[in-house]
Amino acid sequence: MTQVDLEPRYVVGIVCFIGLISAPFLLPILTLRQLTAALFLGMFAMSWDYVSGYTGQLSFGHSMFFGIGGYTAAVLNLELGLTPVLAILVGTIAAGIAGLAVGFPALRLEGPYLALITLIAPLVLVQIVNIFPGTLGGDAGLPSPAGLVSVDEPIGILSTIGFETVFVHETIVYYYLALALFLAIYALFYVFTRSYVGSIFTAIHEDEDAVRSVGINAAKFKVFAFTMSGTVGGLAGAAFVHTAGEPNPGEILSIVVSIEVVLVSILGGMGTITGPAAAGIVYYFVRDALQTSSLTIPVLDATVGHISMALFFAIALLVLFFLPKGALPWVTEWSRDILERRSQRSESPS
Amino acid sequence: MSTHTTQSAHDEAQTTDILRLEDVTKQFGNVTAVDNLSFSVSEREILGFIGPNGAGKSTTFDCVSGTMAPTDGEIYYRGENVTGVPQHALVEKGIARTYQTFRPLNDRTVLENIALSQMPNSLFSFADFRADTEQRAREICEQVGLGDVVDQTPDELPHAGMLRLEIGRALGTDPDLLLVDEPFAGLTSDEIDRTADLFTSLREGGMTLVVIDHNMHGLLDLVDRVIVISFGEKIAEGTPAEIRDDPTVQEAYLGGEI
Ligand SMILES: Nc1ncnc2c1ncn2[C@@H]1O[C@H](COP(=O)(O)OP(=O)(O)OP(=O)(O)O)[C@@H](O)[C@H]1O
Ligand SMILES: [Mg+2]
Repeated sequence: MTQVDLEPRYVVGIVCFIGLISAPFLLPILTLRQLTAALFLGMFAMSWDYVSGYTGQLSFGHSMFFGIGGYTAAVLNLELGLTPVLAILVGTIAAGIAGLAVGFPALRLEGPYLALITLIAPLVLVQIVNIFPGTLGGDAGLPSPAGLVSVDEPIGILSTIGFETVFVHETIVYYYLALALFLAIYALFYVFTRSYVGSIFTAIHEDEDAVRSVGINAAKFKVFAFTMSGTVGGLAGAAFVHTAGEPNPGEILSIVVSIEVVLVSILGGMGTITGPAAAGIVYYFVRDALQTSSLTIPVLDATVGHISMALFFAIALLVLFFLPKGALPWVTEWSRDILERRSQRSESPS
Repeated sequence: MSTHTTQSAHDEAQTTDILRLEDVTKQFGNVTAVDNLSFSVSEREILGFIGPNGAGKSTTFDCVSGTMAPTDGEIYYRGENVTGVPQHALVEKGIARTYQTFRPLNDRTVLENIALSQMPNSLFSFADFRADTEQRAREICEQVGLGDVVDQTPDELPHAGMLRLEIGRALGTDPDLLLVDEPFAGLTSDEIDRTADLFTSLREGGMTLVVIDHNMHGLLDLVDRVIVISFGEKIAEGTPAEIRDDPTVQEAYLGGEI
């Protein structure tokens, strides 16, 4: 064969990229709004994967970073009138500092102890939010802060290509902002994890002694991973409240968010970045489909929507059981097998 | 003794000794693993470091390599007090070690295991290391006899191969002083010879080595000098022949083979 073969994963990547870019032309506007939120779940999952999937420092409380980023930005904008960009910047830095602050004690804690500490941190934050319902909104959350870009009147180009109403235009603008951030974060993590830094991260996961014995300061890399993960998680949280979402505990701070991020990453494939990014998007829609389904289950006499979370976690358990390494590594292996078999067949003369 | 004489003694030592331990003690709770141990290692020497099970050999290596800080005492490397300096910093100074229980990275190939030793200890490094790193890693694989198995994973290697991997990773840091923890355990006599030859060739290249073993078997023809410890204390020091005939040493081994 003389034709140039593009590796299948690049083909899939390009198709997904084109799909995401053209989503506003393909999807109903409400679905596009959901996709915007789904992109943020992908970003949250990537930030978890960067530290936990790669270095093996398990965090069960990553929502602390999304929450610190999101709430800091929202309060600065609502209370002090900071511009959204500045508020997001400060929120990001605050989350980065939180990452640093978790990274240091994490050096002395292993496995379940680290998991427990990280699990407790966002619980404390949720309590703090409840203690100051005035400034932090309590259980119900804060009102949306100013949009990152204010879309007050129709945008010329969008109107000419057939999109009507300000609401639609705003949705499209926020979608592209979220997509740009998603792609930027993906690229950033991709570059780091595919460089020697990622190789050191996974080596730390395998055997820290081996890493130290070749003259690498494992502690420095571990703290760095937590700090960068916290920073990016905070950035995503802050951008989220200024675009697709609202600063309320259920979206960015509660323990359920932390657990979902872990689940998404494991389902997608820990230590791959791509897996958690994609799984975050799929997860969002599957969860939503189950939640809104009015299909009645005969024996139980309940709708799927009623028992959606139970169903959902049951499905997740099944996937984990049959694909313990997650979806992406499984798909990769499977497609490699097929390709190998095909090339063997084309090599053999019969 | 005045400080002046101490100082000049240090200066003198600096010219011949690459490593010196002064009254090093390491305790774990109330177990004293290393007890007031003092010895020095000369430049380009191959020193044998023997002792019965649990004598404190590996713990001594832990202290010297910076894996853990000693409870008491001082360690000097090329005249500089390096007591308690973290391991990664000591590697940079030229001290490398292997582990008695091997530390392979099972998630990657032999070549990638060795390549870890070529990676920069900095978070942001924009130079393109790939090509150089791989070339150097291949050279090391050849040097330690892993040239044919670079694409295998560590769990496919036989015991001798794992040892080579361990040594190769240490060599990748370009050490001046190499601490090897029990390399000969579990090797056939043929493999022992080949490993000893590797050590000899490293010394010819200017390296200093300290080699741990339980007994003198693998060390007889290899080492210049032997230090024997028992219960954390030094009980004898001398040439291999002297050590074999030493009654204190024979007693420590309870009549077992030295
Ligand atoms: N991390 C530790 N915590 C507690 N005790 C330890 C630790 N490491 C070593 N010891 C104890 O210190 C003593 C010396 O152990 P060490 O491993 O240094 O002996 P060794 O001479 O290397 O023995 P071997 O020939 O079996 O390798 C032993 O009694 C051991 O149980
Ligand atoms: Mg030992």
